[in-house]
Amino acid sequence: MAGFDLSGLTASFGGERVIGPLTLKVKEGDQVALVGKSGAGKSTLIRLIHQRVDGQSSLVPQDLGLVNALPVFHNVFMGQLDKHSTWYNTVTLVRPFKQDRKQVLELLDALRMSEKLWIPTASLSGGQRQRVAIARALYRNAPVLLADEPISALDGPMAHHVMQLLRDRFKTSVIALHDVEMAMKYCNRIVGIQNGQVALDEPTDQLAAADIMSLY
Amino acid sequence: MLSYPTVRTSLIFLAIALVGLLFADIAITANNPWRDLGNFFLGVLTPNFFSSEGLLTALLRTVAFAFVGVTVGGICGFLLALVYRFLPVRIFCAFIRAIHELFWALIFLQFFGFHPLTGVLAIAIPYSGIFAKVYSEILEEADPEPGRLLPPGTGTITAFLYTKIPDCWIQLRTYTAYRLECGLRSSAILGFVGLPTLGFYLETSFSQGMYSDAGAMLILFYVLIATIPLWVKPKLLPVYILGAPFFLGDGFPIVWGNVERFFTQDIVPSPLRDGEGLAGLIPWLNELMVEQALPGIWNTVILTQIALVATGILTLLAFPLISNHFGGPIRRTSGHVFLVIARSTPEYILAYILLQLWGPSMLPAVVALALHNGGIIGHLIGRQTNTIRLRSDAPQGFNRYSWELVPRVYRSFLAFLFYRWEIIMRETAILGILGIYTLGFYVDSAIQSIRFDQAMVLILITAMLNIGVDILGRYIRRKLALQTMPTC
Amino acid sequence: MTHNLIRKLLIIGLCSLFAATASAQTFIFTAIPDEDETKLVERFRGIADYLSEELDADVKYIPVKSYAAAVSAFRNNQVQLAWFGGLSGVQARSLVPGSQAIAQGTEDQAFYVYFIAHESTGLDRADSLPQEVRGKTFTFGSKGSTSGRLIPEYHIRETFGEAPEDVFSRVGYSGNHTRTLRLVESGTYEVGAMNFAVWEKELENENIDTDAVKVIWKTPGFPNYQWSIRGDVDENYGEGFTDRVREALLSLDDPELLESFPRSAFIPASNDDYEPIRKVAKEIGIID
Repeated sequence: MAGFDLSGLTASFGGERVIGPLTLKVKEGDQVALVGKSGAGKSTLIRLIHQRVDGQSSLVPQDLGLVNALPVFHNVFMGQLDKHSTWYNTVTLVRPFKQDRKQVLELLDALRMSEKLWIPTASLSGGQRQRVAIARALYRNAPVLLADEPISALDGPMAHHVMQLLRDRFKTSVIALHDVEMAMKYCNRIVGIQNGQVALDEPTDQLAAADIMSLY
Repeated sequence: MLSYPTVRTSLIFLAIALVGLLFADIAITANNPWRDLGNFFLGVLTPNFFSSEGLLTALLRTVAFAFVGVTVGGICGFLLALVYRFLPVRIFCAFIRAIHELFWALIFLQFFGFHPLTGVLAIAIPYSGIFAKVYSEILEEADPEPGRLLPPGTGTITAFLYTKIPDCWIQLRTYTAYRLECGLRSSAILGFVGLPTLGFYLETSFSQGMYSDAGAMLILFYVLIATIPLWVKPKLLPVYILGAPFFLGDGFPIVWGNVERFFTQDIVPSPLRDGEGLAGLIPWLNELMVEQALPGIWNTVILTQIALVATGILTLLAFPLISNHFGGPIRRTSGHVFLVIARSTPEYILAYILLQLWGPSMLPAVVALALHNGGIIGHLIGRQTNTIRLRSDAPQGFNRYSWELVPRVYRSFLAFLFYRWEIIMRETAILGILGIYTLGFYVDSAIQSIRFDQAMVLILITAMLNIGVDILGRYIRRKLALQTMPTC
Repeated sequence: MTHNLIRKLLIIGLCSLFAATASAQTFIFTAIPDEDETKLVERFRGIADYLSEELDADVKYIPVKSYAAAVSAFRNNQVQLAWFGGLSGVQARSLVPGSQAIAQGTEDQAFYVYFIAHESTGLDRADSLPQEVRGKTFTFGSKGSTSGRLIPEYHIRETFGEAPEDVFSRVGYSGNHTRTLRLVESGTYEVGAMNFAVWEKELENENIDTDAVKVIWKTPGFPNYQWSIRGDVDENYGEGFTDRVREALLSLDDPELLESFPRSAFIPASNDDYEPIRKVAKEIGIID
């Protein structure tokens, strides 16, 4: 599965509809930026998609979902727990195998934090924690990336670096972004959300920044 | 003020205790209680550490039983915690923890005799029930998000090990370490029924008025508990856990025929055993209820209610002793020492000492329960006040106490008190063994006259009473929206 | 380092396991804890040494914390021989088929209970249990004791036609005879009932403040303490072992050991000697 076609997406909160009903079709090769005001329903939409594709995606949620007590390595390794036996995973918890160490280290290297491999995530800065969650998504290596504000805590150069990495590693993706410039630069399709509905859906090259600004 | 549900609840409980006092047997019957008390303190001040060759062995055994019991209880409790969401498991756990360690010991003594297994199981079984409950509460608090993010198809065990355990590890460890301290207390009092721990020697020296010997044992016990952080280190734990089983002593070999006999004959109600059938069972039960169970329940409930309120009053008096908002460092240090001693001494030992000094009545039991439990809650509340920042022009002295501090800590004070309600009742029942007419007295009498069928029924009744109070306590805490952390 | 320690512990543990099996044939006895434990340990270690020598076997004494524990240990075959009181002996032997009373002290053929009272009661020695004890506080010894519970309760019921709880304002169980003596001596209880032999021995050793406490009534005699042995001892320790134990006890003539009981000598006893005790116990409902 490389793309998906989801219809009838709805979500309510406290009896009030916050999303939809809306339809979203994503083809293989679509790199979608979800844009819109905060509270427009982007995060909810990401979650909905995650549920509807039965978890067959690499997810970077806004609150990261790290196990704070575990070191960076294990948090990243969690992306592939389904690939190994319980026995293998348990041993890894105590003493990781060499080939896994190598793979995870390479990923962290690409994210420029290889020196943090054995540091518990609880003691990392916000930006570092965000990169651990991204590393976990990369390690998971699912056909689709779902990311909710994955660069909110990263500084300029690092944000660009990470977006570049995500674009290169995931052919298909849906990324919620509040930074319109980033969206225009790294995604090939822009979907604007307003009041829980799709208010805009165009390829990036047919849009100007001003078109998007109308959503805010 | 009366419109506050917390205040109203407090007043209702106060009223119940006051009415209870009318029916309670409160007296100092000793002719010269203060002389005896003085002799006792003199004994503590002039401890004799070389009285008995068995003293060090007893300390070692106390530690060994605590380690093995808590370890076994911890493992079983953890496994039970994994299936704690099932109602039968919850009922089972509530039941096994409603029976006091000493009752378990009395039961196992009847068929395992003085085998180390008796002491180990007496600690491990009730602790399993407590561990199961608290562990499952801790695990429930774990952040569910990482679990949701795992790739589909991840095994349950793997998911558990990666997402739950690391998140709860600190709390699990802290609670287990805390239980180890409780385990040392439990282990010590098992000596009172004949197991080779500290209580055995304490009872011997105390009953013979050898206060210097008893003082030495108490001092060693306090030192043992106070130095736990020094000698219980994560790296040494495997050594202790693997080594402890070898220091339980050998006791006597288990005769399995005795076990079978106990379950197939001894605890079968005598009318059934003698073939009188159900027709004989009802008068038997009736007599047991009227002559033993009901008076036992009545006294247990009265004593519990009085002790609960006494604990509350003592807590409110004691927490300023260690609060930063009052007094200087000297007073706080002595306050700490007082509270450490009060909470480190098992209620059973305190009650035993006071009974020896003041003679038999409910009074020593009330004071013992209030001292021990008030020591625990007072310590927790006192620490809590230290996190309160008062405005710089806050009132001083009693006004500071009554206007600034008590209103702020009152809810957690009540939460702890109601949490310990069930614990106080469990202890109250067991103090009957010392001769106060609570349920423990009748259990002990039944065992002394080799009527285990009656003893079992009485123990079951005690367990039901505890479960009832536990449910009521939780209901009140929920009604008043009180939250607390577990204490033992 | 840690591993070394663990290995050492394992070795110690295994050794102790073997030690336990090797000594499985140790002949073990106990006694009801009717007096201060220090005295009991001293007395019965002496007996253990004596029996070891006489029987040419490994004999060990273990102290227990209650009368019931002594009965249970006997019943569970964790001890093979026990120094019981009249009541505990009857209880124990009814639970162990084939067990028998083999020896008793000369004094145990006709044993007595002393009712004692604190001086504040103003009670004096009488020929029967004085009516004036009604309403006083009263302590028994242990719940399972013959001279501390069974016989006094029997006489209280005989005299007053009521249960002790209804006769006295407060009824306690001190635990043992020495403690009954101390509690009445100090006035914690006004009246108590205890084993006459313990009283006489303490009196002789000048351990009683006779201004504070005195004997107010001596009960009629009844059979009391005895050595009881399990029926399967011959099977497990060799043919004729029971007879050898009996013989050893009957020929005990060490004055110091006898004095510690205190008994003048041990004489043969049989289960039937304790029939009166069984009847009384049944009558007041202590046994079924």
